[in-house]
Amino acid sequence: MILDLGDIRAADAPRVGPKMARLGELAAAGWRIPDGYAVTADALADWLPAPARAELDGLLGALIPAQAAADPGALAGVSARARELVEGQPLPAALAEAVAAAHERLERRARAAVADAAAGDARAGAGGDAALRVAVRSSAVSEDGAGASFAGQYETYLGVSGIADVLDHIRKCWASGYSAHALEYRRRLGRGGAGARPHALDLAVGVLELVDVRSAGVAFTLDPVTGDRNTLVVEANWGYGESVVSGQVSPDHWTVDRATGDIVTRRTGDKRVWSVFSPAAGRVVLEPAAADRAARACLTDDEVRHLARQATRIEAAEGGAPQDVEWAIARGLPFPDSVFILQHRPETTWTAGPQDAGDAEPAAGFDPVRYALRNVFRVPGA
Amino acid sequence: MPSQDEATRVPVDDFVRDELYPGYKQPFGGQPFVAGPVRPFSRADNARYWLRDSLHFSEGMVPASIATLDDAQTWGAQLGAEIVGVPPTRGSVNRLAGTHVYIGTIDVDTEWQVQARAARFGQYVTPILRDFDSYWAMRAGELQAAYDHLDNLDLSAMDPATVWTSLKDAYAFHRRAWFIHFEVMYVLTANYLAFYALAEEIGLAGSAVSGFLAGQQTFYSKTDEELWRLAGRARELEVTGPLLHASPDSMRAQISALPHGAGWLDEFDAFLEVYGQRTEETCRIDTPSWIEDPSAPLYAIGAFLSKPTGFDFFAARQQAIAVRDEQIEAARRSVNGADLARFNEALASNQAANFAWWNEEHNYLIDRRAAIPVRRATLELGARLAADGRIERPEDMFFLFKEELYGLMEGGLTAAGATWKDLAAMIPDRRAYFEDWKRRGPELPTMLGTIPDTVPDPIMIEVFGLSGRFLEALRGGADRGGIAEIRGFPAAKGVVEGVARVITTVADIHLVQPGDVLVCGGTTTEWTPVFGIIAACVCDTGGSLTHAAIVSREYGIPCVVGTALATQTIKTGDRVRVDGRAGTVQILTSGQ
Repeated sequence: MILDLGDIRAADAPRVGPKMARLGELAAAGWRIPDGYAVTADALADWLPAPARAELDGLLGALIPAQAAADPGALAGVSARARELVEGQPLPAALAEAVAAAHERLERRARAAVADAAAGDARAGAGGDAALRVAVRSSAVSEDGAGASFAGQYETYLGVSGIADVLDHIRKCWASGYSAHALEYRRRLGRGGAGARPHALDLAVGVLELVDVRSAGVAFTLDPVTGDRNTLVVEANWGYGESVVSGQVSPDHWTVDRATGDIVTRRTGDKRVWSVFSPAAGRVVLEPAAADRAARACLTDDEVRHLARQATRIEAAEGGAPQDVEWAIARGLPFPDSVFILQHRPETTWTAGPQDAGDAEPAAGFDPVRYALRNVFRVPGA
Repeated sequence: MPSQDEATRVPVDDFVRDELYPGYKQPFGGQPFVAGPVRPFSRADNARYWLRDSLHFSEGMVPASIATLDDAQTWGAQLGAEIVGVPPTRGSVNRLAGTHVYIGTIDVDTEWQVQARAARFGQYVTPILRDFDSYWAMRAGELQAAYDHLDNLDLSAMDPATVWTSLKDAYAFHRRAWFIHFEVMYVLTANYLAFYALAEEIGLAGSAVSGFLAGQQTFYSKTDEELWRLAGRARELEVTGPLLHASPDSMRAQISALPHGAGWLDEFDAFLEVYGQRTEETCRIDTPSWIEDPSAPLYAIGAFLSKPTGFDFFAARQQAIAVRDEQIEAARRSVNGADLARFNEALASNQAANFAWWNEEHNYLIDRRAAIPVRRATLELGARLAADGRIERPEDMFFLFKEELYGLMEGGLTAAGATWKDLAAMIPDRRAYFEDWKRRGPELPTMLGTIPDTVPDPIMIEVFGLSGRFLEALRGGADRGGIAEIRGFPAAKGVVEGVARVITTVADIHLVQPGDVLVCGGTTTEWTPVFGIIAACVCDTGGSLTHAAIVSREYGIPCVVGTALATQTIKTGDRVRVDGRAGTVQILTSGQ
């Protein structure tokens, strides 16, 4: 029911979601990524007690498939009741114990890593007696759900620490599956009813160490604006990458020539806010940034070139499909050990491709027999 | 099983007839073939095209090798095409000009047959491509098991009747091996050509596809590495002198006279034990294996030794792999979205079922080896027959046709009524006929019959290089006086100027000097060592999948194939400029 990151491979995607599966592959391939574990979708599938499930089915079943769902007020009301209901349910004891054991293993590994590296406070909370800070991430498993996950329908919580808090946020991740916009998304996809089980979600949860970040952002292996694959793009801000990913800030922006690896253009953004861990809130929060930092580039040229190169390596490992790669640079570690890869996914704006749009031919895969008969042997009608 | 005495016999006598039906006698020789046996040319053949296959058979065929030829490029190809269900072709068929092999194809010419074959083609091909590793392991295992049996027969301890039985087993195996050859070849070629078509569809050059599939380790690349290693050992053990300068006949004696010579020869013999079960040409009963005559590998080691000392065989291979990966990445960057996904699927399919790899790999199990058990048993039987005074010497067996041998061994007479004595009398004439045609081989036209505008068989295009441009060059080829530039298929990139060395048979390969531009009809596995010393390669025949193209890429030298006319236009000693990216060869100055 729990898989440590070191044991996760691509084949586990149906259990842990493509996001966590990709991280497992990266870890296995020797990339520097935050350690962690995944609570599998099958372990969570029936975690809700039967009465809660029945109640949810009643709530959602009436609402989601209905044409009447155009009423946003009703949707919001149902969502609020559903989330409250879910967050109030205790996790089954066996599951909670398994998570606690996995979390203890993670904390042990983190302490050992810190001791090994003598890297002091490189990983927040890992040093001293403070509990390890982690990110609790929703990881949707089914294809539609993965789309929903990328579309931000499920939530991620940064800066969680302590097992009680972790268990709490696993439930919150699940509950985020019933948020108003998640329900609306399901309704639009026509998947709302999920058969006789409207409460069902195909969701795994990843728990990953929270790196103590100096700067973070995204690297694209094509220019996301023009689709030009000879250009790589790096965008970044101080602090955690959430300010960049969520579009809350105009980030620093570099373009890098793929062939030479040289920086071609650089633009320092207007970084008025940043994502930072707030001890008071116990979470990563968005805060106003000091003026001098806002106008200063948050990466060195070496870091930009390195990130661009790493992104192309990930792209090559993904069969050349353009990727966007989320990364972070940790405080207190020497470059390039300081560079962590957080996640990556196929770049979707251009890969869906204008050349495919409206084409009569469906985007079928490569079938050697079909190609041989039709294009090589030119069999009429093949 | 009861003995013959005890067996109950129901006589067939009442049913014995000369005719199958009143007025109908079955013609001889038409039965075992799907479409047609090896034949001499007839006038009707003027209506079709026939390509000289100097690629596989440069020196001509002795009578005994005609049966093995007909197992291979005739029967095997026809059965393979039939079973796989290749829609446009029923395989290849052979004609002989004197003793020299020409190949033609049998087009499927009715629409219904094309459709019917297309309908079953996928049923045969799909499961094989889905798990090619397992499939090839099964077939290779079958072949290896046969060699384990046939190679280990102690023929010299057998009585003559058992030797004959062993020869029949070897013949049966030979035929089976060639069915496997063409079955797998057609399946893999389809996969390759499908990738080629996909590449063209998404805006890449189809001709680049074979480059994406280069660099997988084969039995032959391992052989080359071993030869390279032995060259290094020859330096260490100080035996390079004879390898570089001695004649093949005395080389072994000269090496063994050196202080560390015996030690080096032990290593060389251990190499032969693993890699020596191969002959110089396909199907030829009259050519020895490396174990019988190691002058070819000794020459190859000498060739490696004469390479400039800076040359690093492994570095060249690594470089070729890096170039391949760079080409793949560049191709990926030029396509997007669903096209990229299809490209990656096609690449994965072809990496798993890789024609470019198999085209080299299969030779050691089939082309260069399958006839060796036939040769061994033939020579052993020949020794017994010579001892009996039936023939003069064992090698006389090469000048008997398989059908004659069957008739004589099974009933004492050939189908034509000839006795051992009659045939023995014919052998000197047959030998002279073979030698005469062997001499005339280099003068034979590249193509006979009607040269078409295009050929429909994609295998003939990619393997033999019968592109439209090739055919056009052949049609215009009569007047060669003013030709200063020859065009062909750009098989491996790079530009080189050098002195041409025209070689028409692998037997002359030792004439090639380091730095030469090799000009030849086409190359096969046996030519591989020479790629370690030449500056560039130019061939009359060949397409993206031919041996010369594949090996040139691995050795990092420019190569142009499918020129149609190179060996007739370029003379040894000419200074030429080879541009492997443009696919051109310029004759700069005449050597005369």
